[in-house]
Amino acid sequence: MKTVKHELMEILCCPMCKSDLVLTVDEENDKEIISGSLFCDKCNEHYPIEDGIPNMLPPDLRE
Amino acid sequence: MISITYRDRTVQLLPNIYEPAEDSFLLVDALLENIRPGSHVLEVGCGSGIVSVFALERCVSVVATDINPHAVRCARLNGIDAVRTDLFAGIKGTFDMVVFNPPYLPTSEDERVGGWDDLMLDGGMSGRDIISRFVEEVGTHLKTNGQVLLLISSLTGINEVTSLMQDAGMSVEQVAESRHFFEKLVVLKGL
Repeated sequence: MKTVKHELMEILCCPMCKSDLVLTVDEENDKEIISGSLFCDKCNEHYPIEDGIPNMLPPDLRE
Repeated sequence: MISITYRDRTVQLLPNIYEPAEDSFLLVDALLENIRPGSHVLEVGCGSGIVSVFALERCVSVVATDINPHAVRCARLNGIDAVRTDLFAGIKGTFDMVVFNPPYLPTSEDERVGGWDDLMLDGGMSGRDIISRFVEEVGTHLKTNGQVLLLISSLTGINEVTSLMQDAGMSVEQVAESRHFFEKLVVLKGL
């Protein structure tokens, strides 16, 4: 079953090229994805999901 | 933990985020008056998430973005789906309403204080740097008949921002206003 939190993933895209992303889930509960990553094929870039928050900043701006 | 209460809701606050003030409250008021039930809402630059908290009561879905990691953590703490990104950068969806309380103060180089505070307040020399980018990009994230609510100050230039929105193809109306001793705050609605 698709959860609300998977719907959140569906409105996300690569911040650099706007392509769709491939979701990998490391940890989730019945409500949401806690950790994992979103991968952009075109840019060969991973965007981490940590503590339930997708970090969609390009790598050079992350911290 | 520090919290702030407005109307009937209490919002948790974290350090290094914009603390909700008159501008936040005016945007909440404008949202409550203009929101259509069942809407999908996007808030950019959400800070604590206070505006989204009120949106969530009346909408199908609310998503909030902020570039500040403390802000997205705070919004999530307040029950909001938060995404760390620069305005719309990592967002591809379209929404019935997009709301934004931007950094709107004209800020010169020597007025910058450094750190997260600049991101909350600094609108560049004109006060409209971030607003200009927002207005350019917001159209692609609006559904048909979608609406924009943008809070600005008289210090930002109400006529100038209205023109920016009109140039982007929106019809613009002022839907809320509050006067303070050094500025007037308004909410512009773009359709």
